[in-house]
Amino acid sequence: MAVFRPYLYTGGVHKHGLLIELLEDLGGYIIQKVVTGTEVNLIMLVPEKDIPIVKKQADDLLGMMVEASLTGVEIAVVSPTLASHHLPHSACDVAEYLRHPGANTNMIGLARGMGRRVSLSMDYERKLINEHDIAVFTFGSFSDCIINKKPKLFEGIEIPIVVTGGPELKTEEVHGADLYVGNIGRTSHRLRKAEEVSALDKLNEGVGKIADNIRKQQAKDPLAVLPARVMNEIENQVPEIRTVLSPAPLTLQLNGVRVKLSYDEFHEKIENLEFDEGVTLSELADISKSKMKNYILIKIKSKSDVGFAI
Amino acid sequence: MDSLEVFDVESAIASEQEFYRKIIEDNLSNLKLAPAIGRIKVVLRPEDSLFQMAIILRDVGTKVTTTDIADMEAKPVAGEIIISIKKEQYIPELLGKLWERYGKANISQPDRWTVTISTDKPDQEAAFLKDMMVADPRHRLHENLVDFAIRVTPEGFRVRYHLYKGTQFIFVASEEALKREWIKETEAMLEELMKGGKK
Repeated sequence: MAVFRPYLYTGGVHKHGLLIELLEDLGGYIIQKVVTGTEVNLIMLVPEKDIPIVKKQADDLLGMMVEASLTGVEIAVVSPTLASHHLPHSACDVAEYLRHPGANTNMIGLARGMGRRVSLSMDYERKLINEHDIAVFTFGSFSDCIINKKPKLFEGIEIPIVVTGGPELKTEEVHGADLYVGNIGRTSHRLRKAEEVSALDKLNEGVGKIADNIRKQQAKDPLAVLPARVMNEIENQVPEIRTVLSPAPLTLQLNGVRVKLSYDEFHEKIENLEFDEGVTLSELADISKSKMKNYILIKIKSKSDVGFAI
Repeated sequence: MDSLEVFDVESAIASEQEFYRKIIEDNLSNLKLAPAIGRIKVVLRPEDSLFQMAIILRDVGTKVTTTDIADMEAKPVAGEIIISIKKEQYIPELLGKLWERYGKANISQPDRWTVTISTDKPDQEAAFLKDMMVADPRHRLHENLVDFAIRVTPEGFRVRYHLYKGTQFIFVASEEALKREWIKETEAMLEELMKGGKK
């Protein structure tokens, strides 16, 4: 199976179709294409051995190609509260900054997450968070709260947990967290200062490492089909996806795809999605109703479960 | 009293104190409250889920009367009073008061700078209007102060106590039922500020 590397291309709209065509010829995937005025941003998966060819094409078009480590990762940015009188939340900046290396982020404000003793999360919220690849919890400025009170919000979360907060703490001190990043606490201003931005950089780096670890674990028992390939087939076989106005109608995850179409209307079409090898998607993946609106959530099974990989 | 001549934030851990100071500064500037506050002291005790704040306000602009913002001329023969506006910013408040007293039908505004009132007793009414209070900046200040207190308090601290008297403002918030001594402590903080604070 070909190994793919995630890249972000930024360049002019002029002739960028050449790059898309080249990528299709090489068997790579376009994950997201954003056109803003005369600029185009392409998030893509490039076959590892063909990277020099794609780079050359990008250079010819005078565009920039950088590795985007969080491509194909869907991250939940969870805040105990998203109350309007506390805007701007640092969680907004966290979510925005994680998108730079290619991640798709969803902000989740817990209904009753605020406070110390009274803080709690609901079953529905935990299930919604667990649909993602990584959860980033954004906490406040007090070490006492972060160490003693807030970790109860991690109960029932099965995905890796990253915590941000004001004080400089060690990861081990925050029980249940896979990574703690300091200097991103509660603020009433946008994160712009040098130390705040470098903390965000540190966060991106840490989240990138966690994503890499998940990928490494996956490589030991690969998925039955690449999420990007599922995405491609949905684009080809379910034309209605083009009418969806959400920013990422098909959101890639490390082990699945979120399809922003109504489950009730489209789940059969998705289940019967056919691959050239003669298998349907329902043989390779669990397809369920997402907790996010009525979307469809595809979680791809591993090779050991299915018995083969395509 | 200078604006923000005392600005104390106290908490057990010094670095957290700085975070909170920044939050308070940001909110003061967002609500443009800094010039109105003379002395402020905030004490945070996250281990007790407690937030205490005492503020002493500076004198903010005195009450605005009609003569401050307009010239008035009584016309006994025509039975009307003509008000020529000098400061446009208070027109909505002025019109509101006039409508209440004379009814909308008796007020007309021929142009942007003129308001005329039809009345039977122009001289008496003009004398009354001269000293009528049009706007009170204190009222706006009170609103902002309460908004400020809610914004800077940690979100989960939903049990609140506040007292606003003259230039003194205290605010206590917690997650638990408030204890009498917490309010007493905050009152003591205020007394300390009255004497000039620590600095």
